[in-house]
Amino acid sequence: MGALGLVYFYACAALAVAGALAVVIAKNPIRGAMGLLLLILSVAGLFLALHAQFLAAIQLIVYAGAIVVLFLFVIMLLGPSSSTPSDGRGFATRAFGGGLFAIAGLGALGATWRAMGAWRHLPMASVEPGFGGIDAFGGVLFADALVPFELSSALLMVAVLGAIAIARGRQGLASLSRAELEVARTATAGGDPTGPEAGVFSHEIDLKEQPR
Amino acid sequence: MLSLFPVKDYALIAVILGMPLLGAFVNGIWGRRLGKPAVKMMALAAVGVSFLAAVCTFIALAQAVSDDRDARLSWTAWEWMHTTGRDATNVPVELKFSIDQLSGVMMLIVTGVGFLIHLYATSYMAEDKGYARFFAYMNLFIFSMLVLILGDNLVVLFVGWEGVGLCSYLLIGFWYDKTANAAAGKKAFIANRVGDFGLICAMFLLVQYTGALDWHGIANGAASLVDPSDFARVHVWPLSRGEYTGILSFLQPGYFQAHHVPFLQDHTPSAPVTISAATAVGLALLLGCTGKSAQIPLYVWLPDAMAGPTPVSALIHAATMVTAGVYLICRLCFVFVLSPFVMNVVAVVGVATAVLAATIALVQNDIKKVLAYSTVSQLGFMFLGVGVGAFAAGFFHVFTHAFFKACLFLGAGSVIHAMHARVHDDDQAQDIRNMGGLRKWLPLTHWTFFAATLAIIGFPFTSGFFSKDEILYRAFVDGTVNPLAGSSMLRHVGVYAPPPSLGVWLYGAAVFAATMTAFYMCRLYFLTFWGDFRGWTVGRPSLLAKQEAAHEPAHAEDHGDEDDEAVHEHHEDLATPGYPPHESPWQMTVPLVFLGAFSIFTGFLNPGLGVMTEKPMEHWLEPVFKAASDGAVVFRHGNDKVWAEHLEWPLTVGGIMAFLLGTLLAYWMYIARKGEPAERLAKAFPGLHQLVLDKWRVDELYEALPIGAVDSLAEASAAVDVALVDGFFARLTSLVVAASGTILRAFQTGVVHTYGAMMALGLAAVVWFLGMPHPKATIVDAGGGDYVIHAAPGVGYGYRWDGDGDGKPDTTDFGGETKLKVHLDPGKSTTVHLEVKNAFGLVKSAELHVERPAAPISSL
Amino acid sequence: MITVEHYVAVSALLFVIGGVGFLVRRNVLVTLMSIEVMLNAANLALVAFNRSRMAHAASQTYPGPSHTGQVFVFFIIAAEAAEVAVGLAIVLAMFRLRQTVRTDDADLLKN
Repeated sequence: MGALGLVYFYACAALAVAGALAVVIAKNPIRGAMGLLLLILSVAGLFLALHAQFLAAIQLIVYAGAIVVLFLFVIMLLGPSSSTPSDGRGFATRAFGGGLFAIAGLGALGATWRAMGAWRHLPMASVEPGFGGIDAFGGVLFADALVPFELSSALLMVAVLGAIAIARGRQGLASLSRAELEVARTATAGGDPTGPEAGVFSHEIDLKEQPR
Repeated sequence: MLSLFPVKDYALIAVILGMPLLGAFVNGIWGRRLGKPAVKMMALAAVGVSFLAAVCTFIALAQAVSDDRDARLSWTAWEWMHTTGRDATNVPVELKFSIDQLSGVMMLIVTGVGFLIHLYATSYMAEDKGYARFFAYMNLFIFSMLVLILGDNLVVLFVGWEGVGLCSYLLIGFWYDKTANAAAGKKAFIANRVGDFGLICAMFLLVQYTGALDWHGIANGAASLVDPSDFARVHVWPLSRGEYTGILSFLQPGYFQAHHVPFLQDHTPSAPVTISAATAVGLALLLGCTGKSAQIPLYVWLPDAMAGPTPVSALIHAATMVTAGVYLICRLCFVFVLSPFVMNVVAVVGVATAVLAATIALVQNDIKKVLAYSTVSQLGFMFLGVGVGAFAAGFFHVFTHAFFKACLFLGAGSVIHAMHARVHDDDQAQDIRNMGGLRKWLPLTHWTFFAATLAIIGFPFTSGFFSKDEILYRAFVDGTVNPLAGSSMLRHVGVYAPPPSLGVWLYGAAVFAATMTAFYMCRLYFLTFWGDFRGWTVGRPSLLAKQEAAHEPAHAEDHGDEDDEAVHEHHEDLATPGYPPHESPWQMTVPLVFLGAFSIFTGFLNPGLGVMTEKPMEHWLEPVFKAASDGAVVFRHGNDKVWAEHLEWPLTVGGIMAFLLGTLLAYWMYIARKGEPAERLAKAFPGLHQLVLDKWRVDELYEALPIGAVDSLAEASAAVDVALVDGFFARLTSLVVAASGTILRAFQTGVVHTYGAMMALGLAAVVWFLGMPHPKATIVDAGGGDYVIHAAPGVGYGYRWDGDGDGKPDTTDFGGETKLKVHLDPGKSTTVHLEVKNAFGLVKSAELHVERPAAPISSL
Repeated sequence: MITVEHYVAVSALLFVIGGVGFLVRRNVLVTLMSIEVMLNAANLALVAFNRSRMAHAASQTYPGPSHTGQVFVFFIIAAEAAEVAVGLAIVLAMFRLRQTVRTDDADLLKN
């Protein structure tokens, strides 16, 4: 793998860190979501370097294809309200928390390096054929990890129900159909999807009409 | 009987005690629901069965005594507890009851007279709504009194002592909705409590000196109470046996003498002031007896106790409870005689109380108050009797007093019952100024009251005559000496000798008291039963107005006679004077007849004046008092028996003169002159009259001095409580709590990233803790002086020991050795260092101290 | 030569960035995305360790090297998808109530 492997690794790593920094630093949440997407793609690439093909595919399908999309949906729904003005409130607490966490994390990394000692420079073991493929995955998922597998399907169902219940709120079907109506109206009216008027919830009238 | 119940395990005692307790329990808990007839039956059955069992027991006792004069029937319920005496000896305290001649007689009195009074009370209290409660308390009282009498040791006696005190409180304050009654109950209980302090101190001293608390054990160990060695004496001054050297040491004896202070060195003791243990015990017991038997200084509760129902006064404050003090002195006679000083004190206290109470009774107007003071006075006579060593005579007076005083009280109750039907006011119904001529309407009551009065004033050949005159005689001729005076123990110590003419003074004062007794009792009798009835117009203002109008026609006023009549439940025609007082029902008169008869005839159980050669009761009680009378009670003039016998008839004549003088004076003053000389005297000396009427203002004195002191202390404490505790401490604690609340609330901002920051802080702390090495070790004793030190394991830990105490580690690098063995000689110790390095390369060390205890010293 | 420590370093760096972002940013959407970052970091570390030793576990049904780390990541992704869905639903509910996406403004529990 040699030099190509090194370059590939460092490229993916750099892109991942860049994406993470974008998520954390960007003021516009859309930019943050794009950073997240970049991170996910980079991590998928790193998975590929680690011979976890199936997992890389899953990462792309689920993360990039569903979760990031979901984030984008919500950010679009919120419209301009999704970005918050920045002021110095609570700066001391946040800086304290963040700084402490950074020190703790990096300290832990450093300590782990020292603890690993001679094991740090051990090369990776050679890959056996079939490692990381679908067959191997299936063999584990449906045999040893069958119970967690079934439980996770139950978990997903519960999550769906919960999300619907929470997002719907007290108004029930009425609010949902009104939002749908608004989307339909905006789409058919050919209004600019971007900008302040695009967000459904930014219509003052809607919000005021909904009973609390 | 004795074949059924052996002498050592006489279980019939359980029936005697258990029946009243059962009656109290049943009536107390289910009395209301059972209804009056059932309550009456239960109470009477309880005391009645107890009396029958007591009679059987007495017969059995007589049988046992005929074989062995020192026999006692005893029964042990269980072992209660044990305490430690001197030199760490074990003193067991058992719940044991025993009956000997003395307690046998007392037991018959308590249950017999108790039964008659219960019968009386079933009619007297018939309209009271607390009927069941009353009989529950009465039965409980009988039970407590029996426990007191039948107890075989001081602790069981004390249980009964407290029990009768409690029942006295409950029964005096029976009509508790009136504050005065409740206050009287409290006063009785508190006065008793002061006396109980004395009794408890006596118990402590007895267990310390004699090493036992039961009668047998105390008798055996009584000699150590008069041990003259300094160790066994009780130090009165100085209080700490002279070991105190602080700032008040100038108060120690010998200080002034050592420093040659001019006046004080001659008038203060130069050596510690000690008294013998017997004196200390005697004085402490005397305090207890004055509380229970209403002597100076604790008699003040008895007159107030008349606030209770009359059967209560008859049972508790005449026949049984107040004689408990005399009983205790008789029971512990062998302790009292060891200290002639205490005997003299007892006699003087008794005669002083007799005189004081008699003076107060002269002017009282409430029939029950007169009888109450009469009781106090007669108790003084009993104390006089036992104080001069005439234990049998004193106890015989207890016996006769029970009958005639109970008869007098029950008769007074009958009179009050009759008066109450006419005069609805409680206080006026008992006032003898409203009575008179009642012998026409209350014949049985009159004749029994008359019989009891004859007994109390000492009419010749009644029971009171024999008992009282015996006491007067013995007061004159008896002197007490310490029975161990001749023994070698006491030859080196100065022994108290009674003043030689004390007997004359005692006799004189007792005769004076007897004269006053005759006078006030005859006054009471004449004013109540003779003359004209003065109570027609009491409580009837309309009738009074009519009478006045009839006498003074010029001042005819309108008669407001509409309203009062409608209120009275007796529908009477007020044209006539109204219904006269009526005789009481048979439940009340039959006991009166019995008691009246006993008052007259029981004197012949212990008659003096040579009527019988051997007096039955004195002979019966002789073994009980033998320990006391042998050598302790002697005649004066050097134990001159002949001189004493010659004095018997003259001294009796003195007693008869007292009776005659008092009676004739009362007759002249109240019948011949119709009370006019008394009124003139009262007008001539108004201040003195009021003072005596106010009971010499002793209550007021007590209120001012001890009670006032306690009140001031209470007020001071209350002030401190309000200012310091409430003002300062309470506020301080609330301030601290509020402040810490304010501080803690600052963390609850409600904002998520604050909580996140806190979580990060916690995380950092955990990471730090996990990252640091922790050197911990436990030391295990492997025996034989070997100690193995185990270091606690950890992830990636390396260990370095320093076990030889040289300050340098034993190995240079950190190995995996987690154990270190150390050997120590006895009494030696060593310090071991442990250094731990964890995977992150951080090193921390700890110091361990290992010690081996020195070999134990032989514990022979 | 890329050894496991490289991957661990990347993972740690991503984790710290995500954690600091979570603690510092006040926009609730950004905090949720930071959580995603942290989870991705954890996933990376797991897969890296799983690859590094190629161990054969004794109690496996399917023969071959152990895939435990990767299966773990699989479940993490599944659970975490659920978590994102619910979290975004909460964001929407909060917005409907308070018209804000700032975490500072959700301080009803103050004091």
